[in-house]
Amino acid sequence: MKKIIFILAVALMGATAVSAQKLTGRDVIQKVKDRPDGNTRYAELELTLKKKNGTTRQRKVTSWAMDEGKDTKKMMFFTYPGDVKGTGFLTWDYDQIGKEDAKWLYLPAMKKTRRISGSSSKTDYFMGTDFTYDDMGSRHVDEDTHKLLREEVKNGHKCWVVESVPVDKHEIYSRKVSWIRQDCLTAAYVEYYDKLNKLHRVLTISDVNKIQGFWTIQKMEMKNVQTEHSTVILVKNSQYDVKIDKALFTVAKLEKGL
Amino acid sequence: MVKETSFDDYFIEDDPMLIKTEEFKSHFGNDYYVGVLTQCDNHFTKKNLTTLRALSNELLDSLSYADKITSLTDIEFMVGSDDGMTIEQIVPDEIPDDGTAAMDSIRARAYSKPHVARKLISEKGDLSWIMVKLRAFPKDSVWKKTSTVAPDIITGEEVERIIKKPEYASLNPRGTGMPYVTHCKTVYIGKEMGRLMMIATLICMVVMLCMTRSLRGVIAPIVSVIGGLFITYGIAGFTQMYVDSTVLMIPTILSFAVAIAYNIHIFSYFRGRMRIHGERRKAVVETLKEIGWSVFFCGFTTLVSLLSFLVIPIRPMHCVGIISSMSVLFVLLTSLIVTPVLLSFGKDKRPLEGFTEDSDTRWTKAMVSLSDAVLRNPHKIGWSFLVVCILLCIGLWKIEAAFDIERTMGENVPYVKEVMNVGRSELGSLYSYDLIVELPNNDEAKEPVNLKLLDELQQKVAGYKLTKRTTSILDILKDLNQTLNNGDTAYYRIPDTEEEVAQMMVLYENAGGTESEYWMDYDYRRLRLMVEISDFNSAQVEREMQQIQADAETLFPDAKITTVGNIPQYVTMMQYLVRGQMLSFVISILIIGVILMIAFQSIRVGLIGLIPNMMPAIFVGGYMGWAGIPLDMMTATLLPMMLGMAVDDTIHFINHSKLEYDRTNHYQSAIRRTFRVVGVAIVITSIITSAVFASFCSSACIMCINFGLTAIIGIMSALAADLLVTPILVSKCKVFGKGKKVKE
Repeated sequence: MKKIIFILAVALMGATAVSAQKLTGRDVIQKVKDRPDGNTRYAELELTLKKKNGTTRQRKVTSWAMDEGKDTKKMMFFTYPGDVKGTGFLTWDYDQIGKEDAKWLYLPAMKKTRRISGSSSKTDYFMGTDFTYDDMGSRHVDEDTHKLLREEVKNGHKCWVVESVPVDKHEIYSRKVSWIRQDCLTAAYVEYYDKLNKLHRVLTISDVNKIQGFWTIQKMEMKNVQTEHSTVILVKNSQYDVKIDKALFTVAKLEKGL
Repeated sequence: MVKETSFDDYFIEDDPMLIKTEEFKSHFGNDYYVGVLTQCDNHFTKKNLTTLRALSNELLDSLSYADKITSLTDIEFMVGSDDGMTIEQIVPDEIPDDGTAAMDSIRARAYSKPHVARKLISEKGDLSWIMVKLRAFPKDSVWKKTSTVAPDIITGEEVERIIKKPEYASLNPRGTGMPYVTHCKTVYIGKEMGRLMMIATLICMVVMLCMTRSLRGVIAPIVSVIGGLFITYGIAGFTQMYVDSTVLMIPTILSFAVAIAYNIHIFSYFRGRMRIHGERRKAVVETLKEIGWSVFFCGFTTLVSLLSFLVIPIRPMHCVGIISSMSVLFVLLTSLIVTPVLLSFGKDKRPLEGFTEDSDTRWTKAMVSLSDAVLRNPHKIGWSFLVVCILLCIGLWKIEAAFDIERTMGENVPYVKEVMNVGRSELGSLYSYDLIVELPNNDEAKEPVNLKLLDELQQKVAGYKLTKRTTSILDILKDLNQTLNNGDTAYYRIPDTEEEVAQMMVLYENAGGTESEYWMDYDYRRLRLMVEISDFNSAQVEREMQQIQADAETLFPDAKITTVGNIPQYVTMMQYLVRGQMLSFVISILIIGVILMIAFQSIRVGLIGLIPNMMPAIFVGGYMGWAGIPLDMMTATLLPMMLGMAVDDTIHFINHSKLEYDRTNHYQSAIRRTFRVVGVAIVITSIITSAVFASFCSSACIMCINFGLTAIIGIMSALAADLLVTPILVSKCKVFGKGKKVKE
C-alpha cells in the first residue's frame, strides 16, 4: 500500500512538474486578469502629462469602478484644473471580443452629455495621455496571441516575459512585450512596438503595494519614446469593496453629479 | 562628407531666427510638412478613393518622420448628434461602389463643412490635398552618428519613392513641402554639378591644348584642380564641415578658373624663355623667379577675398568662403609645385633664332599696339569709363535679394515647375509662415476674449494679397461648437466661456482628436496661426511680414508676437545677404588694398591698384540691378570673387610694370613691355576663365545662368579695366617714381 501511495505521489509530482514547465503565455496573462481586485473600487488619480520640452499638464480625477460579471463600469470626475472641474466621464468596459466599449463625457459648462464613439484607433488614448483605455482597464485575453519567452529579473522582481501580438491588425501596436511580476501578478515593465516594429511606448509600473489585501498599483509611467511625451499616473487613496450604487454608472447620474 | 541643405541649417548657431524656430518647434513640433497633390477626373469613385487611402496610409506608415496625416480618407471629421459625438472619417472603411447613395453621401459629407473641404478637395473634385505633419527631426549630433544624409532629405527621398510608385499613377501625385523640395534640389544640383564639371573640364582641356599645344599643358591644370579639390573635400569630410549642395559648384568652378589662370601664366612665361634660350631647367627657374611670386600673390589675394564671406552670417556663405579659399590654396600650391616639375622633364629645345626679350609674336605685337593706343588716348578712355560706371552705380542700388525657387531656379528646372504648379493650384501651397501669439500667462489661450482677437487677426490676414489659406485652433473650436450643437451653423463660432472651451477640448481629446496640440501649446499660453502662400514676391512678402507683426501687436498689446517658418527665414536671409554682401565686399577691398600696399611697399600703388579692381564690382552690380537679376546664394558670391580674380591681373600688370620700370626708368617702355610679356597671358586667362564660367550658362537653372553671365561680365570688365585703365593710372600718377622722358 505504502508503495502504491509513494508511486502515486511521485507520479503526481512529475505531472505537476511537467505542467509547470508547460506554463504558457496565455496562462500568465490569464493569471494577471484573474488577479483579485475586489468588486468595487475607488481611487483618486493624479495625471501628469509631460512634453519633450518639459512643459506639463496636470489633471486630477476621482474614480469609481464596479465589476458586473466580466464587464467593468467606471465613473470619473475631474477635480482639477478649475475650468474642467465637474466634467464627468463614464465608461462601460465590455470583456466580450468585438463589442465596442461605451464612453460618455459630461460637459457641465454646456450641461450636455456626449457619447464618444468611433472605431478609430485614435479614440484608444485616455484623456490625451499616452495610456490607452486597455492600459487603464482590462483587455480580453484572447484579443492577443501570447507567447512566454522566458523568466527574468526586472527591477528587482522575478518576472515572466510574455510577448503578445494583437489578433486585430488595426491595433495601434504590432506587438508588446510584458514583464509580469510573479509575486503580485502585475506588469513591471511593458514595451509596445509600432507597425514598423519600432519601439513606440514603454510602461513602467512601480510602487505596487497591498491595500486591503489587494495588490494595488500606485504609480505608472508611460513614455512615448518616439515623441518623448510621457504620462505619470499616481493612484492615491485606493479603496476596495466600497459601497457603490449601481445607478452611479448611468448617464443620468453623470449629469446629476455626485 | 555630410549632405545637409535644410534651410534651418543656413543659419549660424545662436542666430535669433534659429532660436525662435527652435522655440516654436519645442511647443508645436516640426514646422516642416510634406504636401501631396493628387489629380484625377473625379476623386469620388471607389477606385480613386481606394488608391488615395492606400497612398495616404503608405505615406503615414513609411515616412520615417511622419507624425500625422490629413487627407480626404484620413481626417478628424467631427460628427454630432443629439446624444453623441464622433470623430470619424469622411470615407468609411468599406468604400462603397460608384453611383450608389453611399458614395453620394461621402461627397456630400466632404463638402458639408466648407472649412474642411477647402483644405482637402477642390470644388470639382478633381484635386485632393494630402498633408503629412512630421515629427521633430533629431539633432545633428544624433543623426550624424548613423547617416551622412540629413533627415529632411531622407524624408524627401521617401516621398519621391512613394509617389512615383506605379500603383498611384492614376492619381498623378505631386509632392511639395520643404523636405521634398530640398531633396529635389539636392538631386538636381548633384546631376547639374556633374554635367557642368564635365563641360568645364572639356573646355579647360581644349583651351589649354590650343594654348600650350602640349600634353603637359592639359595635364598640369587638371592635376592642380583634382589635387586641390580632393584635399579640400577630404578635409571637409574629415572635419565634418558643413557642406551645402547649392554652393559646392562655386569652389569647384573657381578651382578650374584659377588653375587655368595660374598655369597659363606659368606656361606663357616659360614658353617665352624657351624661345629665347631653349634651356628647360633654366626656363623653369626664371619662370618661378619672375612669375612665381605674382602667382602666389594672386592666389593669396583671391583667398582673402573669399574668406571675407565669413562675415555674412549664413552657413552656406561660410561654406563657400572656407571651401573656396581652401581649394584656391591647394590649387595654388599644386600649380606652383606640380607644373614646374612637369615642365622640367624633357629635353632642352633649340631656341628660336633671333628671338629676344623684345621680340614679338603675332599676339604680343597686337598687345603692344594696344598699349600704344591706350597711352595715346587717356582722356577718352578715362571719361568713357567714368560715365559707364556712374550709370552702372545707379543700377547697383536697384539690386534686390531673392530666395524663392521661381526666381532663383526658374521653371525650366522640372522639379521647380512641378512644385510651383502645385503651389498655384486650388488646394496646394508652396510656402508658409507661422505667427505665434504668446500671452502673458498660462491658460489665457483658452479665454474667449483672446480667441476672438485671434479670429479678428485671422480675418485680416486672409485679406492679404499673398495669403492662400490660414489655419488656427479656431477651426477646431468652431467645428466642435457646431458639432455639439447638432450641426447648427449658427454655432460655428467661438464658445462663450473658458469652461466651455476647456471642456470641449477634453471631449475632443477623448474622442481621439490630436490636431489641437499643433495650434495651442501645452500651457494654453501660445496661439499659433499658420499662413500658407502659393506665390512669392520678395518685396510684397516683406511688407506682409511687417503688416502681420503690426496687426498682431495692435490686437495683442501685452503679448509677445513672433513669426517663424520658411518665409520669415527667407526674409531674414535676404537681409543678411544684402548686408553681408556689402560688408564682405568692403572688407575684401580694404584687405586687398592693404596687401597691395605691403607687397608693393607703397600706399599709392596700393590705392591706385584698387581702382581698376572696383570695376568688375560696379559692372556686375550695375548689370544685376538694371537687368533685374536677383541677389541669391550664388550671385552673392560674385562680387568678392570677382574682386579676388580681377586683382590677379592687376597684380601681374603692376608687378611686371614695376620690374620693367626698374629696368628702364621709363613708363611708356615699361608698360609696352608689360603688355608684351604678360598681356597675352592676361587676355587668354580672362577668355579661358570666362569660357569655364560660361559652362554655367548651359544650365536650365536661372541661378546658374545668371551666375555664369555675370561672372563673364565681371571677368571681361576686369580685363578691360586692367588693359585700359591700369596703364593710364600707372603712367599718369607716376606710381613708381618720376621717370625720365625719352624721345621716341
